[in-house]
Amino acid sequence: MLKGKKSLKVALATVTATVLAGGLLTGCAPANAGGTITYLTNAESWTHADPQRNYTGMHIAWFGSYLQRTLTAYDRAEGAAGSAVVPDLATDTGRSSNGNKTWEFTLRDGVTFEDGSPITCEDIKYGVSRTFATDIITDGPTYAIGMLDIPSAEDGSSTYKGPYSTDAANDTASFDKAITCSEDSKTITFNLKRAVGDFNYTVTYLSFSPVPKAKDDGDQYDMHPVSTGPYKIKSYKVNDSMVLVRNDKWNGSSDPLRANRAFPDKVVVKFGQAEEVRDQIILADKDKTAVSLDAILPTNLSAVFDDEGNVLEKYKGRALNVYDPYVRYAAVNVKKLNCLPVRQAIYYAKNFDSLITLAGGQAFNGDAADGVIKPLMGLDYAKTGYATDDKDWKPEGNIEKAKALMEQAKTECPALYARATDPKQGIFYDIPDTETNKKASAIWIESMEAIGVTMKFNYIEPGKYYSVVLDATKQGDLSSGGWAPDWANASTVIPELFTAEGGFPMSQNWEDPAYAEFKKRSDANLTEPDRKKQGAEWAALNKYAMDQMWVIPGVFSKTQEMWGSKIGGAYFWEPQGALSFGDLNIIK
Amino acid sequence: MNGLVAYISRRIGITLLILLAVSFTVYLIFALLPYDPASLTCGKNCNDPGIIEANRKRLGYDKPFFEQYWVFLVGLFAGRTFGEGAATIYCAAPSFGYSFQQHACVTDLIFDAIPVTIALAVGSLILWLVVGVGLGIIAAKYRGKIWDTLSTAFVLIGTSLPTFLTGLILIVFLVIKVDWSPFPAGGYTAPDEDIGGWFLSMVLPWVTLAFAYSAIYTRFVRSQILEISTEDFIRTARAKGLSDGVILGKHTLRAAMAPIVTMAGLDFAGLLGGAILTEAVFNLPGMGRLSLNAVVDIDLPVIVGTTILAAAIVVIMNMILDIVYAFIDPRVRV
Amino acid sequence: MFSKKAEQKMSGHSPRELAWRRFKSNKVAIPSLVVAVLAILSVILAPLIYSLAGIDPNARDEDALDSRGEVPGDWNGISEKHPLGVIPGVGYDLLARMLFGARVSFLIALSATLFTVLLGLFMGIVGGYFRGRIDGIIGRFTDFLLAFPTFFMIIALSAPTIERMEKSGFIQGNEARILYLIMIFAIFGWPYLSRIIRSQVISIRERDFVLSARALGASNFRILVKEVLPNVWTPIIIYVSLALPGYLSAEAVFSYLGIGVQPPMPTLGTIIADSTKYMMNNSVYFFIPTLALVLLVLTFNLLGDALRDALDPKSET
Repeated sequence: MLKGKKSLKVALATVTATVLAGGLLTGCAPANAGGTITYLTNAESWTHADPQRNYTGMHIAWFGSYLQRTLTAYDRAEGAAGSAVVPDLATDTGRSSNGNKTWEFTLRDGVTFEDGSPITCEDIKYGVSRTFATDIITDGPTYAIGMLDIPSAEDGSSTYKGPYSTDAANDTASFDKAITCSEDSKTITFNLKRAVGDFNYTVTYLSFSPVPKAKDDGDQYDMHPVSTGPYKIKSYKVNDSMVLVRNDKWNGSSDPLRANRAFPDKVVVKFGQAEEVRDQIILADKDKTAVSLDAILPTNLSAVFDDEGNVLEKYKGRALNVYDPYVRYAAVNVKKLNCLPVRQAIYYAKNFDSLITLAGGQAFNGDAADGVIKPLMGLDYAKTGYATDDKDWKPEGNIEKAKALMEQAKTECPALYARATDPKQGIFYDIPDTETNKKASAIWIESMEAIGVTMKFNYIEPGKYYSVVLDATKQGDLSSGGWAPDWANASTVIPELFTAEGGFPMSQNWEDPAYAEFKKRSDANLTEPDRKKQGAEWAALNKYAMDQMWVIPGVFSKTQEMWGSKIGGAYFWEPQGALSFGDLNIIK
Repeated sequence: MNGLVAYISRRIGITLLILLAVSFTVYLIFALLPYDPASLTCGKNCNDPGIIEANRKRLGYDKPFFEQYWVFLVGLFAGRTFGEGAATIYCAAPSFGYSFQQHACVTDLIFDAIPVTIALAVGSLILWLVVGVGLGIIAAKYRGKIWDTLSTAFVLIGTSLPTFLTGLILIVFLVIKVDWSPFPAGGYTAPDEDIGGWFLSMVLPWVTLAFAYSAIYTRFVRSQILEISTEDFIRTARAKGLSDGVILGKHTLRAAMAPIVTMAGLDFAGLLGGAILTEAVFNLPGMGRLSLNAVVDIDLPVIVGTTILAAAIVVIMNMILDIVYAFIDPRVRV
Repeated sequence: MFSKKAEQKMSGHSPRELAWRRFKSNKVAIPSLVVAVLAILSVILAPLIYSLAGIDPNARDEDALDSRGEVPGDWNGISEKHPLGVIPGVGYDLLARMLFGARVSFLIALSATLFTVLLGLFMGIVGGYFRGRIDGIIGRFTDFLLAFPTFFMIIALSAPTIERMEKSGFIQGNEARILYLIMIFAIFGWPYLSRIIRSQVISIRERDFVLSARALGASNFRILVKEVLPNVWTPIIIYVSLALPGYLSAEAVFSYLGIGVQPPMPTLGTIIADSTKYMMNNSVYFFIPTLALVLLVLTFNLLGDALRDALDPKSET
């Protein structure tokens, strides 16, 4: 998942849902109800508030907790229990047939939008249709396009172009066949083009949430999405704030997941907080009911945690230091760095030690990674033999080994060797423009100079970073990246990162001689019914990608979160890699 | 009186011409940039050239430059519609275009931002005029004495400390380090929501911005007064035996007023375009933040809109000042 | 303003002598001159200082950092080895980086000042001396240029202009960025100077000595060089003394906003931009480069004031 944080640990077999008895939970206000929770963030706005355009774990967690309901959702619980899928708008976690190619969900009674009108199958179908309008509804996950049984045009795009298209050739008929509604508009059926055993995880994405057609105004819907959850938007101003108030049309009896847990009366998000100020407000407990939406600045970690990364006594119960679901790495643009010894030389020369120290040290930044799958993935992870398991690898960089590889490159690929060692050209590394990254670039340049390579940096505004580097024409030779599985199956990692059809194909490796074999195995493994065998194969493909050095590994990263002293109910919600926003409350 | 009318109409004519030239230049500069405005509208979906073309058409970037500029000008007076079908977007006049990145008409964004900037500019203008003129008079009156030295020190610090550092230092050492501080560490409270909160949220930005300006004004006022005191009519007044107070109030200050007002008018107009650093440091959602973020996001319609507006305010203020002078001083009209 | 020649007649001393006397009598003039000269010398002689102090702007001393990249203790690791401590996270010597950074900052500020003066001088003299249509065009163009929100234009144009410069193939990376800052500062800076010069030139060209030179058949060029130029050096010196510190602090401001020189090359501004992140937890690291910049700007401002008072006694106050 793009910059998002997502996790793991879930045994994949369809989870039997804990269906809560709705009736029991209605009516009574929760004990810690009331007050205002204030979220602080450095961002100028939400990347997107439109449910079909949200694709970051933290954002999905936030909007999913307060405003948007989906057919199924992750349970709101600490630890592995949180990764179980439970029914939300639907009465159960979905029924599959036709060898996992047909999925059916039935809507609960009494589910409504914020204006009180009932949510129907048509509303969900309309919501999903928006994903296909890729010219307007940008940045969201495109699983609907990849999975629904709709033909592809010659250029590979879907023949259905979404609800806004005025083109007569728009293939609405196929879309109408791919998603069908029952007579009473209570049951929705998805017809898929390939077997997807975990489609009920896919529909936890907000891109499968309902949108009332009458309220949809395309691009501008991003500013005023209609709520289906316990809160609704009172105001939303970019560069300023978003204010949520209670949605009086929301009925707890139709929402067992959120009933009794809609604590605050008001939720405020303050945008554009200077990072230092944001941290200090919470560190000094200036606003006791404030929560930071961003990770703590590395420079402030020592105030909160000891050297081992444990929370200091003063901040007990107010901060977290956990592994997030990310793996960070430098994606290699294989089209440009089309020479294995050069890629290996970069890996061996890289000064892991200094880079990790700069980012706060191992206790906070994480451990050197040996691939793109995190050990927490269980079934899908096996050691690749790189980083700490590689006898030639040194944490501060093995300059000798890297120089030898460059010598090898000199004869194997003279053109690239010449460019990499030419001070006037060199190789370009894309990196988000932050103060820490600026220092990191100095460390990189130093390591590369030691092996005679000129490295230059493209500093890209953090907010624009991925839209620039995902544009193949603008991408440099290396691009810093981070990825986490969309759900607990490396099917959302390996093919996403390393195949041409993937959602995050920064490696551009499809002209590499080693690609054909890889692609064949990856495709076959997508529909492998035996989850154990599938996992072992993902692990093998992870090693395969590392053998080709399609990424320069980085870290299995950690994150640090913080909140005010009057905030209760905070824990790390693993599946979204974010705080348990929906359970936050104000301690009386 | 005819001369005055002629002068004013000529001055308005020139202003309109400059405005046209500025708007054209701004539009041209940003059209010449190595950016493809259409490909900036679709994020990671831009891998598909079809999408870029669709958005190019929707935003009118498929037309030749002069037609684009003409459509832009017409939109300023008549409003403008983007796209077709269900996802049509209409921006009412005066339309500066539509920001795909902020999902709003540029004019609406400006209308949201400009009250914040006006509040910031007016408050700090009052503050720096009071402090600057006051200190300037004191420094001139007690020339060479301790007051003069102190005001010189103030001037030097004010002109040497970059605004963003003043702001950051105020936030850290007046807000965060001080537990009882009533001021928020940045952010804006709308006055219709909580007038007290609004005032508190504006105090530090006013001080930060006024700090630099009042230093400049102190120096300027002091030298103006000292210069005027050497002129003949002041000597005459002194010879007539008028008291120092009367001379200062009735003669010196009156003569010094014109240049101070001119300077203040132009500085004020410049600020309405956005006090970028102050707004950035204190997180105020004004014109400066709007335009700065637009640059960061390469949000071309917002960049063009805010730049043209900022330039227009300066040009129009210049015109107003000139016309006011024409009323006061007949010699200008020639 | 009365002419230097007239003054000379009255007092019997050359204007230079008079100015120097006035300069010396100013209490802060000599100290600020000394500090300014020292600052410029230490920037020029930075390599010498590196070797004398045993520091290296490109060496990272990771032993000075703890396991999470912070500097242990309250004083930013100030020691014999690191006279001003180290930069947290990477372990560079702060003094060495500041000297290195100041070289770049001065390069930008001095070159920008030079180009501003050349442009302003040319435009001011052409407008003031030839008057008429040329003057009108320059005047309107100045109005037009001054209408733009300068500060914002510098930010808005930076990325695309630098991209264009790099694509042209002549200049790359930080050289292009430095050139951009120099040029854009000059382009938006000259109108202020040219207005001053113009009014000065207008008053000079009607003076007796110019009129008599012209009557004697001197060419325009000769009059400009021999008679006009020597009489505009006062406003130029005053302007330079104000522009230089202005550009030094402008570099810092634009670095804070993320525009300008990129790593691994430092400037005073980029060091300050980084140090603002440490205001709370390592305020020594924040205050050292900030104070250095403020002191530099202050010194040049003081020097500028003293020069103005000495050269232009009427504005002396």
